[in-house]
Amino acid sequence: MRTLVILALALTAPTLASAQRQYIDVGRPDFRPLALAIAPFASGPGASADALDAQQTMRDDLALTGTFDLLDPRSFLADPAEGTQASGIKFPRWSDVGAEGLVKATVKREGAVVAGELHLYDVRAGREVLYRVHRERSARALAHAFADDVLQFYTREPGVFRTRIAGIRKGRGTWEIVLVDADGKGQEVLRRETAIAMLPSWRPDGGEVLVTSYRGGKPEIWGFRVPDGAPRLVVSLGDLASGGVYSPDGRSIAFTASVDGNSDLYVASADGTGIRRLTTDPATDTSPTWSPDGKRIAFVSTRSGNPHLYVMNADGTGQRRLTFKGNYNQTPRWSPRGDSIAFTARDERRVFDVFLVSPETGAISRVTQDQGPTNEEPSWAPNGRLLVLSTDRAGRQQLVVTNPAGDRQKVVTSDPAGISSPAWGPLPR
Amino acid sequence: MTGGSALLRGPERLWPLLVVSVGLHAGFIAAAFLVRPPPIVDLEQKPIVAKLVKLGEKRPEQWLPRREAPPPEAAPRAPDAVPVPVPAPAAPPAQKTVALPAPKVAPSKPPPPRPASAVTGGKGSDALSRALDKVRKDEKLASRERWGDPDGVPDGEAGDASEGDRYLGLVTQALQASYRLPATLSEQERLALRATVVLTIEPDGRVSSFRFERRSGNAGFDQALERAVRDARLPPPPPELRQRYRTVGLGVNFKV
Repeated sequence: MRTLVILALALTAPTLASAQRQYIDVGRPDFRPLALAIAPFASGPGASADALDAQQTMRDDLALTGTFDLLDPRSFLADPAEGTQASGIKFPRWSDVGAEGLVKATVKREGAVVAGELHLYDVRAGREVLYRVHRERSARALAHAFADDVLQFYTREPGVFRTRIAGIRKGRGTWEIVLVDADGKGQEVLRRETAIAMLPSWRPDGGEVLVTSYRGGKPEIWGFRVPDGAPRLVVSLGDLASGGVYSPDGRSIAFTASVDGNSDLYVASADGTGIRRLTTDPATDTSPTWSPDGKRIAFVSTRSGNPHLYVMNADGTGQRRLTFKGNYNQTPRWSPRGDSIAFTARDERRVFDVFLVSPETGAISRVTQDQGPTNEEPSWAPNGRLLVLSTDRAGRQQLVVTNPAGDRQKVVTSDPAGISSPAWGPLPR
Repeated sequence: MTGGSALLRGPERLWPLLVVSVGLHAGFIAAAFLVRPPPIVDLEQKPIVAKLVKLGEKRPEQWLPRREAPPPEAAPRAPDAVPVPVPAPAAPPAQKTVALPAPKVAPSKPPPPRPASAVTGGKGSDALSRALDKVRKDEKLASRERWGDPDGVPDGEAGDASEGDRYLGLVTQALQASYRLPATLSEQERLALRATVVLTIEPDGRVSSFRFERRSGNAGFDQALERAVRDARLPPPPPELRQRYRTVGLGVNFKV
């Protein structure tokens, strides 16, 4: 009998135990950057300036990601005689200064082309883990290619340093659609307009920038071809058509139009035909942004009284309110991985800052804070690791590149005229 | 005592009843165990979320979130001056207001550049008073940087949690402090990584053993969790919970 009782208790004990066990959630880990040393780049004849330029540019690129802790070059003495063969590299010395990864490169001039070899080593393993050769039109382009290689090696995701950011540069009576590198440099003017131009956005293949332009006498959606800036009228509807954005597959364009005084969302084919209305609410509906799978659209509506973010299916069904905090939420941009929407909002101090909201839970986190009266118009890098936004923290509107947590920000432009409305372009194809 | 209950008349009367009772209980428990599947612990179900809530004023729900500003340096000392248990000599009234725990000299950020022009503009006292009002408003907001809950604790870290167990809050805090992942994890991996570890916690707070109830499938992530558990310094559980955490353990759902 005693045995039976003990057996019964032994059988039931684990069940009761697991039922009683408490569980807690632990999230928000501290992401530890990888310690990376970049040895001074070796250079071929006449390429020492290119080598220096490439080295600094690559360093700035990788620092921008927040993924690496770049060792201060003053903390180590790189022996030039060490060479690039793993067998000749004194890895214990690199390990002693804290390096987990080591970058070495050689830069050469080949006529108008800057050529370079990249070597990446795993210091602990004491071996080369990546070797790449690039030929580019400038030292900066070479450095961006190197930075992308290193980022891709460690994260298994494409780097974004060969992408371009479109923005609007306001001059005296001119509006320039400009393109800059991800580090804010290498500015080019895609098109100089004498009519108001605003709200640029990219075609997913990078071949065109959509802009809301007054060049036809009223707000219309125009496309400007990359790289020559040739214009085409895409959509003209009612009193106003603005904020055109391509769907992820490039086949449709969602936009805002005001017909008979009511601002609503519409969608058209990429050539501007087949216009369909998505919203009919008498309030103002504006600023559409597509989810990365193209199945949903987030937008701004004043139907609750103040501008708030809403989400709906791409055919206009299933509209629901997403934000309930703040009272002036605008410029939503859906992240490439789909789990976050960046937007601009005015907080209780009446300053504009950039926030993130989960499209599923509505949970909001903050990206910028106490960094000037206006931080606005966020746009995601195509790998989802960085955001670009415009700020007036240093006077005129300039571009800031930041990680989504907002703890690594850098003002990347210093344009005397100022640049606003950034739109981060796609990965090069 | 001899003429009491029938159950107490003799062991020969008690014994069959005891056998039947134990048999019935054992049979019932065994049947319940065999017939019904064991209860499934739904790991996706929201577990207890324990947070240590800060002591402070509740941030209005409709306001956008605000990151915590570093607490003012003078703040911790101020409360010492408030309670005066011994007969206080007639203190000047002004002294009482100075001794409030709220940081009087909060590090208010300089006002935005605009007020300067407003002050020097030609609008005279109106512009000046508007500018001063704004500065006062900013200072007032800055002095309320540390939002919390009136029932919170001074060293809490959550701004808006409403309930939770204090010990689990401390455990969460300790694990959080040692939870480090490589920044090179891809965005896609970050979305999917989840694992559950069951800790056996000794009465002195030491984690004597742990096991994965559910692995993430990513060796690097699981190793990082093992490090986090080993490095964490947990506080001793309260007496009433010691037995439970030593035998049943505490489940921890790690996510990114």
